[in-house]
Amino acid sequence: MQKHLPLFCLTISAALWVPYKVWAHHAFSAEFDSKSPVTLQGTVTKVEWINPHAWVHLAVEQEDGTVIDWMVEAGTPNTLLRAGINKNSLPIGSEIVVRGYQSKDRSCKPACKANGRDMAFSDGRKVFMGSSGTGAPKDGLDPRDR
Amino acid sequence: MKTLLPSLLLFSSLASAQAWQTPRMPWGAPDLQGTWTNATITALERLDGLDELVITEEQARELERQDAGLAADIDNLPEGDLPAGKVVGGYNTAWLDAGTRMLRVKGEPRTSIIVEPKNGKVPYNIRGWSRYWWRMIKTQKRNNPEEQLLGDRCVVGFGSTGGPPMLPVLYNNNYQFVQSPGQVMILVEMNHAVRTIRIGGEPLPEQIRPWLGDSIGHWEGDTLVVETTRFHPQQSLRGAIKHQLYVGMNSKVTERFTRIGEQEIHYEFTVEDKTVYRRPWRGELTFRPADGQIYEFACHEGNYGMIGILAGEREQGVNGIRWLFELVTNMPEETDHEQLGPGRFNRKP
Repeated sequence: MQKHLPLFCLTISAALWVPYKVWAHHAFSAEFDSKSPVTLQGTVTKVEWINPHAWVHLAVEQEDGTVIDWMVEAGTPNTLLRAGINKNSLPIGSEIVVRGYQSKDRSCKPACKANGRDMAFSDGRKVFMGSSGTGAPKDGLDPRDR
Repeated sequence: MKTLLPSLLLFSSLASAQAWQTPRMPWGAPDLQGTWTNATITALERLDGLDELVITEEQARELERQDAGLAADIDNLPEGDLPAGKVVGGYNTAWLDAGTRMLRVKGEPRTSIIVEPKNGKVPYNIRGWSRYWWRMIKTQKRNNPEEQLLGDRCVVGFGSTGGPPMLPVLYNNNYQFVQSPGQVMILVEMNHAVRTIRIGGEPLPEQIRPWLGDSIGHWEGDTLVVETTRFHPQQSLRGAIKHQLYVGMNSKVTERFTRIGEQEIHYEFTVEDKTVYRRPWRGELTFRPADGQIYEFACHEGNYGMIGILAGEREQGVNGIRWLFELVTNMPEETDHEQLGPGRFNRKP
């Protein structure tokens, strides 16, 4: 055990990093309701490629046939561009599935709002890849990254 | 052969030493120009469980592997509805660009940006610590835009990204340096803020307090030394997920930039203010070439977040005793940081 103590300590401290990574930025907890997860399946009607965050608008058809407009907060355009995602990655009319959390503001004006934690095309392909597949964003420190 | 070998070794070391020389501007000053990044997973303050500032390359690789594993876990939640709860992690890592590596300073893997004091923590005195908390609690009222964090307000970037000291945050950790004989300009990608450092200039009058302070520079050999004072009072609290920091409006920050390689600027800083800290504290970072150009981050363009925060507060906000109860039992993400809790004073240095 003595031999493994330093590694054990490192593991514990790495676990403390979790909050830095999983907790949101841009005041997530003030804007969105972490107790209200939503899963939305709909058609992309507009993509606002703006700072500080992109917003994806989608029309979600309800079981009774009525349609509700949602707008979903996505990543910051600079980061998305560096990850290889641009304005054309999500064409108007795409069928997508979004998992996120609804805004605390439930007025639904001009549309219901949520953050888009995970976004995928209806065939399962992810829109925002994150660390899965290619590894997390590079910081240029490791020459092997290049 | 015995005499030839040392000569060969000497020759090869001389050749490698001569391989790189500090690049210079036409007027002779070292050339720091370019687009640089300070992204790293190493935090400003040292985390518990890590006693040493410097760790081995193997330990650093192990921490990087664990960090990559955590990122993969975040991005691959099981199918179906997301979990509901107090702390859910609102975004996957495609949102973030915080780096994947521990900080290396001149090749040494580091566990904190702070190098002094030795415990790797900001040495607040009781006054600085109370001011920090007072300002932090006020940001949690969410009933007005004026007291929100500067990053949420799109005034300057989150935390101390524009600084000084310039510290890494969760994304947009890119900086463009441009030089002229009398000025060094640093464009900070988050939130498109600019520092203009006047070489050999005079400080501004006491009452003029620009965002990111008033910076005066001079060259000491090949090192750019920048002294910044006259901070804007609203920039004292520098809140971000990666770090939370209080820098007084009358604090003095001294930065030293030295180009030590084609792909490396060594960055040191000292923060002094007797009214806020028990002693001056010091940190070190490395700037490396950024991948590609800086993009404009015109944060006011569509800051729906502020509307969402204020509207959310009006709809679901609570007041009075309940607000206090919520604050104590559900500390917001910026403050739930055990290194900044009251327990920090119980720890041995």
